[in-house]
Amino acid sequence: MRFKEVGLLFCQLLAVLIFAAGFFPQKKVLKGDAQFQYMAETQRALEPAFDKLVLVVIDALRADFLFQQNVSHFDFVHELLNRGEAWGFTAYSNPPTVTLPRLKGITTGSAPNFLDAILNVAEDDSSSNLKDQDSWISQFAKHGKKIHFFGDDTWLKLFPEEFFQKHDGTNSFFVSDFEEVDTNVTRHLPHELQHKDWDVLILHYLGLDHIGHKGGAASQFMPPKHREMDAVIRQIYDQVDNRTLLCVMGDHGMNDLGNHGGSSAGETSAGMVFISKMLSSYPRPAAQDGVSSPVTAAEDYQFFTRIQQVDFVPTIASLFNIPIPKNSLGVFVREFSSLLGQHATTKIIENYHQLMQLAAKKTAARGNDDIDSMLAEMKDVQATLARTATNYNYAMLFLGVGMLSIVTAATAYCYISSARLNEASVLMIAVTALLGSSVFGSSFVEEEHQIWWWIIIAVVGYSWATRPSCTPSHLVFLVCARLLRGWNNSGQKFMYDFTVAELLKSHPSIKWLLVCATLAVVALDGFTERPLLSIFNLLAGLLCFVYKTCWANVNGEVSPTYAQTLVTKACSLLFAGGTPWDDKQLLVPLARLFFKVTAAIVCMRIAYNVVFAKRKFLSELFPLFTIVLIMQTASQNIPLFLVFTIMRSSLRNILRVGYPQQRCEMFFVLSLILQNLSFFQFGGTNSIATIDLTNSYNGISENYNIYVVGLLMCIGNMAPAIYWSLAAVVDHQLYSKKSYAQQKLSSMFFYSVNSLLLLVACICMRYHLFIWSVFSPKLCYLLGWNILIHFLTETVLEPFLLMVAG
Amino acid sequence: MTTKKRPVGKKKFVSFSDDDALSRTGRLPKNLPQHGSPPVYVRRTWQTIPFHLIVLSYWFIKHSNGYDVRKCTWLLVPCQVLYLALQFNPATVYGNKILKLNYALLAVSGVTCILLTIPCMLLVVLFGAPFLEMLDKTWLLSLHCCVLSYPAVYSVLNSDFKVGFFKKYFISIAVGCWISCLAIPLDWDRPWQEWPIPLVVGAQLGAMFGYTFCSQL
Repeated sequence: MRFKEVGLLFCQLLAVLIFAAGFFPQKKVLKGDAQFQYMAETQRALEPAFDKLVLVVIDALRADFLFQQNVSHFDFVHELLNRGEAWGFTAYSNPPTVTLPRLKGITTGSAPNFLDAILNVAEDDSSSNLKDQDSWISQFAKHGKKIHFFGDDTWLKLFPEEFFQKHDGTNSFFVSDFEEVDTNVTRHLPHELQHKDWDVLILHYLGLDHIGHKGGAASQFMPPKHREMDAVIRQIYDQVDNRTLLCVMGDHGMNDLGNHGGSSAGETSAGMVFISKMLSSYPRPAAQDGVSSPVTAAEDYQFFTRIQQVDFVPTIASLFNIPIPKNSLGVFVREFSSLLGQHATTKIIENYHQLMQLAAKKTAARGNDDIDSMLAEMKDVQATLARTATNYNYAMLFLGVGMLSIVTAATAYCYISSARLNEASVLMIAVTALLGSSVFGSSFVEEEHQIWWWIIIAVVGYSWATRPSCTPSHLVFLVCARLLRGWNNSGQKFMYDFTVAELLKSHPSIKWLLVCATLAVVALDGFTERPLLSIFNLLAGLLCFVYKTCWANVNGEVSPTYAQTLVTKACSLLFAGGTPWDDKQLLVPLARLFFKVTAAIVCMRIAYNVVFAKRKFLSELFPLFTIVLIMQTASQNIPLFLVFTIMRSSLRNILRVGYPQQRCEMFFVLSLILQNLSFFQFGGTNSIATIDLTNSYNGISENYNIYVVGLLMCIGNMAPAIYWSLAAVVDHQLYSKKSYAQQKLSSMFFYSVNSLLLLVACICMRYHLFIWSVFSPKLCYLLGWNILIHFLTETVLEPFLLMVAG
Repeated sequence: MTTKKRPVGKKKFVSFSDDDALSRTGRLPKNLPQHGSPPVYVRRTWQTIPFHLIVLSYWFIKHSNGYDVRKCTWLLVPCQVLYLALQFNPATVYGNKILKLNYALLAVSGVTCILLTIPCMLLVVLFGAPFLEMLDKTWLLSLHCCVLSYPAVYSVLNSDFKVGFFKKYFISIAVGCWISCLAIPLDWDRPWQEWPIPLVVGAQLGAMFGYTFCSQL
């Protein structure tokens, strides 16, 4: 690569990184624990309204699951609501609506920031720990209360274990389990309710969320799960006295497909019910008066009184007479003021002081002020604070954008001035313009795969109409592309039940046959020309197959008997010693062996090429690279590489016959389109939720290196993109007259324009409702594409290979 | 006036129709590509503007209850036949002749259209329509497209399969469908975003454009 291109590339990466650093700052939090501020002595002497708290968090409990007729099967809760012993609310949960940020909101009362949503994925991360952040959990712990916790182990990740006298976490990793995650929690109940050696009992049930993810909000498993949860509530209600407050809440809701993370009405409307025998002696909330539960459907899941989920924090703190956590944005729920008697005003003023301190506003001395006007002012402050939860670093934002616009202008100038006017360059500019402008619409970002599909069918249609002589190749290509599109669901909007991947999962024998076929076809490519290399490839392919079946066995998937015999044979051969190995122990050495063997073959081939320069070097190594990519792909997606092989040969045929003058330029543009399309059709989206971690730990033992895992994860998620990028370079080396740097200008043009427009969109929409759920994840993906594909693959790996090829 | 001149002049030149140079200099618009000899083309005239499609689209978007594609297709059929008889066929020139409406061919091309729905549906699925789900709706869409292309199908059959010239009519319908797909991913959750309503409207707009302007291209 020439100096100019490399310089531009570095400046581009740097600009995006600077922007990201300014865009995702760590939020400022007030350190230390809260103390009573207003009339502290009096408050300390107050009697709490309740002695014990039972908090039942039911993951993804949308408001209508609790309250709505024909949807909800919480019959006991309805009965309590009608008796006035339960008060129902719809709690707005601030996006991102995933568990970890929501738990932060429920316990500390603060608005989440985007990093929390990413950290929700990174299981083993500890930086999201709330050890030093004030929360009602820590306040309870500091006041010598005993807390017992059972359920989702996210809580144990958030809080130091010494807060909980007793705990038992369940891992939420296997989403397909509806029963065991919940019985694991419920089995502790009889003992806990009998001994009552706790002040706070927290239960976090995951089953309902898992059902949603698997079958959507209207799944047939929902009613029995509702009844099961209802029975748990009845069990607790029956065995606690009237000095105990039972609170049932969802940490977030779900959309009708059962997913969550975004900011639609379904996802943000979580249900919340406070239950105590004592509540019936107080006036019930106005919205609940004279309403018989279950209630009829309400628009946007708005049932009863609407509160913010963070309002839970000051309410609990006031009812139990502990200081309100420092970072809480919550406003005391007015309905509960009757429970506090004459001290209600004191508590609300306390809440007012705490909130104003957080907002860094001067507080006028409020004494015997009107409660309503104070609550209204607090609501305003809450809204402002929630909106400005993150402080953008504007200097860095504008530095990033400014730098990138200069780089983009330079790149565009270089590209336009060097490009010939032909179909390839027009297509490239059109794709760039289309994708660049699409980032301003949140739905186009969410459904980006549709745009790529829209582009590819246009290209195929155009090419077919103008080059009718290549009709068979076009048809083959189109059929393959359609297969690719039908392989997985992508985006948020459309979920089809009959995707090829789902079908293969339910027919494992066909799946494994296809996997075998794929590996064989890929490995034996070019057998007649170079049989020796093909045999090496076959060896690597065999190892890959053995590893994949072994992995399937360990993870409880079905694999055919011939594969299992193969595994046993191969392992007795490879790891001699006679003792039968457990499949689980085999995984790590097998994967390592695979990587070692491939590395050895690559090194051999490079060494060979250094001595005898062979022009076909790249195309000969291509099958081996493909096998490595297959290794990092989920088994139901592996047959797609067979589809890719067919697609690639028909594409080469079309380009050879139809576009002899611009063969390589066209391949580069199409490679870019196919990279993106296949990335999305492998199941990827622009949302953090679909990052696949399953192949990140191939060959990684327990004391692992985070960078290796990160690299494997990136390769695993970007495998199809790497495939198409390499495919373009193979053809470039064989047929192009241009230098690689010149060729590369086109994709540099695409990346820099695309990045620039996304950064501008992020700045324009920084107060948009979807900034955290749509635009920020997209920015992360852009960084990923820039670094992994644009930089590591296309600027480091490929020029290196081309250099070796000579 | 010109319309009357051409049939008159045609009789003199019909024996020379093999001679490209003569027929080109004589009657054809200068930059028109030749499709077979004798050439088949559609005259450039406002006569081919499909007014019925404008009305139908308006009705479909504004006044049809719940975007009833079935009903729209039923309404479209007689409109298209009338359009072909009164507007499109009189404007189509076959080897310098304007042919009278052939009633048998009218029926044949109707059957052809219905048969064409199957390959059309296959193409629609290949180009990304859901497979196995909502096949009935996809079929309805392809039926609608085929009815929209009915005048062009008739003319192709009438001109001994000179697809060359009429290709652009089919393409314009396809492009209309393609552009309308942009409405699908939007998260507005409107009833008209349901499959295949945007594509039906797109096909109508494409056909509208095609029948109006393709003779100019």
